[in-house]
Amino acid sequence: MNITKAGYHGILLPDLNIGFDYSGTETQYTFISHAHADHMPRGKATHVYCTPNTHDLMRKRGFKGKADRLHFGETLTTDKARITLYPAGHILGSAMVFVESDDGNILYTGDYRTPPSPASEGFSLPEKSVDHFITEATFSLPIYKWDSHEVLGKEIRTFAIQSLEEGYTPVFLAYNLGKAQEVMHMLAPAQLPVQIHGAGYKLCDIYEQAGIDLGNYAPYDRQSCKGKVLITTNSAINNGFASNVRKKKLAYCSGWATREATRSQLTVHKLIPLSDHLDFFELINLCKKLRPQKVYITHTPNASVVQHYLDEAGIASRFLDLEMEEDD
Amino acid sequence: MTDFNNSFQKLAETAQHIAESRSINRKIAICAKYFKSIDRDSNLNLAAQFLAEGAFSNLSGKRATVGSRTYSTCAANFCEIDYEKVFKPCKTALGSSSEAIEKLMHNIEAAREKRSPQKLSLADIVAIYENIAAVSSRDDKQAILRSAWKKMTPVEIKYFIRVMTRGSLRIGFESKSVVAALAQAFDKGVEAVRYAHMITGSIGRTAVLCKNNQLDEASFNLFHPLSFMLASPIESRAVENLGHYVAEEKFDGMRTQVHLSGNQVEIYSRDLNEITHSFPEIVTFFVSRNLPNLVLDGEVCVYKDEEILPFQLLQKRMGRKRPSQKIQQKYPVLFIAYDVLFYEDRPIFEKTLIERRQLLQKVSESSRLPITNQFEVTDEDSIEELFDQALAHGNEGLVLKKKKSTYEYGQRRKSWLKVKKPGGTLDTVIMYAHAGSGKRGGYYSDFTLGIRVAEDERYEEEFIPIGKAYGGYTDEEMKRLNKRIKELTVEKYGPTLGLIPEVVVELEFDDIQVNKRTKANYTLRLPRFKAIRWELGPEDTDSLKEVERLYDEKINRDRLKQDENPSFYFASKSPD
Repeated sequence: MNITKAGYHGILLPDLNIGFDYSGTETQYTFISHAHADHMPRGKATHVYCTPNTHDLMRKRGFKGKADRLHFGETLTTDKARITLYPAGHILGSAMVFVESDDGNILYTGDYRTPPSPASEGFSLPEKSVDHFITEATFSLPIYKWDSHEVLGKEIRTFAIQSLEEGYTPVFLAYNLGKAQEVMHMLAPAQLPVQIHGAGYKLCDIYEQAGIDLGNYAPYDRQSCKGKVLITTNSAINNGFASNVRKKKLAYCSGWATREATRSQLTVHKLIPLSDHLDFFELINLCKKLRPQKVYITHTPNASVVQHYLDEAGIASRFLDLEMEEDD
Repeated sequence: MTDFNNSFQKLAETAQHIAESRSINRKIAICAKYFKSIDRDSNLNLAAQFLAEGAFSNLSGKRATVGSRTYSTCAANFCEIDYEKVFKPCKTALGSSSEAIEKLMHNIEAAREKRSPQKLSLADIVAIYENIAAVSSRDDKQAILRSAWKKMTPVEIKYFIRVMTRGSLRIGFESKSVVAALAQAFDKGVEAVRYAHMITGSIGRTAVLCKNNQLDEASFNLFHPLSFMLASPIESRAVENLGHYVAEEKFDGMRTQVHLSGNQVEIYSRDLNEITHSFPEIVTFFVSRNLPNLVLDGEVCVYKDEEILPFQLLQKRMGRKRPSQKIQQKYPVLFIAYDVLFYEDRPIFEKTLIERRQLLQKVSESSRLPITNQFEVTDEDSIEELFDQALAHGNEGLVLKKKKSTYEYGQRRKSWLKVKKPGGTLDTVIMYAHAGSGKRGGYYSDFTLGIRVAEDERYEEEFIPIGKAYGGYTDEEMKRLNKRIKELTVEKYGPTLGLIPEVVVELEFDDIQVNKRTKANYTLRLPRFKAIRWELGPEDTDSLKEVERLYDEKINRDRLKQDENPSFYFASKSPD
């Protein structure tokens, strides 16, 4: 199977005329796994396929190109391959792309999470065998191991409630697509009033239409935000977001929050390692479960660690060096 | 089974809790509450010591020396992971071996299966440190570590390592804060606790004195070195009234403290290590002088033919157990005193500089002890003039001392101000980038700088390292630098990246020293970024020849003899 990188942005199967998270026009069939900026097509020349939710999110985030919707489980047949999308559990709309061809079956994960984010359509694998497994490996070190969503959800609610009781305004630093809505979904049972930064707010109705409860929320309003639970990004907090509220407590929600150093780098009170990627152990276990002919590793500074464990498990692997963004 | 309040687990949890709190008052309150919860004196002693000093009391002189490679390979083994292929990337990602070990101990099943936490007491932990200090081979140390870790939780293991290695606990809580927490826990004044800490030299003993209302029993003992009073750079401190200060020349020597009682003499370095054996002629000087009991603060310099010679020559005398006659003759040293901290039977650091100076003069007159010359300063111009004179003497600059100040041991405030000139600058190129640790974890923040030897027939390389710098740039510059580094990386050795030499840094330093163990034969003292010169290329950097020229210039320059307006005097030659 011929698998190549398209520069630092995207992966191509040239023999099948297929591209994944690719921005160019060289392939006839390009599949976009989800609506995060480092996977979305850059520019409007590309004609892409994606899930309806990814389509709606991309539109709200400014994608102007041509996109065809492909539902989970629905199969697109080309002259050389059959392509089906499977839920990836990363964010709403996120999909893994399963390609069946005469040269074997390929599963491209995009970004994914198993067990899935509770604010996503879940996670499921094709029943057919996977011969070539192209996987992200963002958190591919054994220092990364996630607590269950149940534990993390409780941690998030407790932080919000305690901060409010102590007279502080709790602020969750979370990426505005995916993590923000996941945090809101986890907060929902506490029924606290939430305000979210505009860039994240405009995406919320797509989540609600998909049946995900985001609780009692409103867009961020500087005048009234004090005493509400606030959700914003790390960059916004440094640019005046709620700067009029002096008593704030900040929690950083990200897989990177595993690192103690982020506490002082971002000057936050609380680190909550809530990730929308799978952890190291889940990754190795999944590779062992799938037992593909070959694993292709992307999106990681530590491919060699994964390869070391795959070597020990007798699974062949290769590193596809793609650019990664730290917005988790 | 230990009572939880006296367990190491509780100490580790408290340390973690302190780490996770942002305000210093909150940290102090957490620590104070912890100190109050401990019942026995011996446990309180250990708790304070572990948080502020390390495995052993500073007074004990004992150390549990375990290098990072020793405990890291031991941990990799314990977790059944490959040290090079797995442990090192984990350490690099976190910027901390001990944090990596904590997480691996928690996450990896093979490690979890081996551990069954036993709630070890603080005394159990000391016993383990004692065992480690008693063995010397890496295998023996690792065997002790392995069996200890089997009885600990991951957070205990992290702090066990940090206490053992005497580095910072990395919880934003240094010994000053531990002092504040003791004061709060036992309702004492911070100054009283700090004083007791200083003169007992032991935070553990101070804690016990606090708890038992015995702070006044703390007394200063001769032959226990006292932390030195330090000078702040003048540019960072506004001087309100120059008339309140006197000036002394800042010697290009080594700061030392001399303790004297009868014929017993001990000499201590700035890091409070005893270095008496390196300077027999100073000991000889004090013996049989019939002086009262004394503690003196001053500087050791190489002094020959009425000239103070550069620090580089003093280095030939440092670290020698027994300097030969020949070395002593070639590099004769002199102890020049500038302060007295203990006189006859009591410490006098609460007296003013003027009062202490009178006693120092008295000592000098009866013994010919050399003491610094003090100069009155009136305005900026007089400082300028004195500064030039100090440089002409081969000294580093001036120290301005407030006449009415007490001896603020261990403090760096504005009672003493130093006036110094940077040694110089060199245009260098970044050769290697090293992953930062602690606050800079996740970034490349330390850099090895190279000097050009491309046209130098003695070398095959284009550049060779001249120094390592890890400061002097802004956060923004560091981020830009990290981006550029990505593009220039050609090799990776664990946490270190080998780079194409492209980025030029104007490097500022205090001094140049000969160091035969380096490729360049020279090292820079206190190298730091002055500016990143994005506009320059590697061909614009300075060559090793320039380093050699600067060094020769410094060593061979003319020095004003100590005959007129001297930097110091022997009392009999007193200009007064």
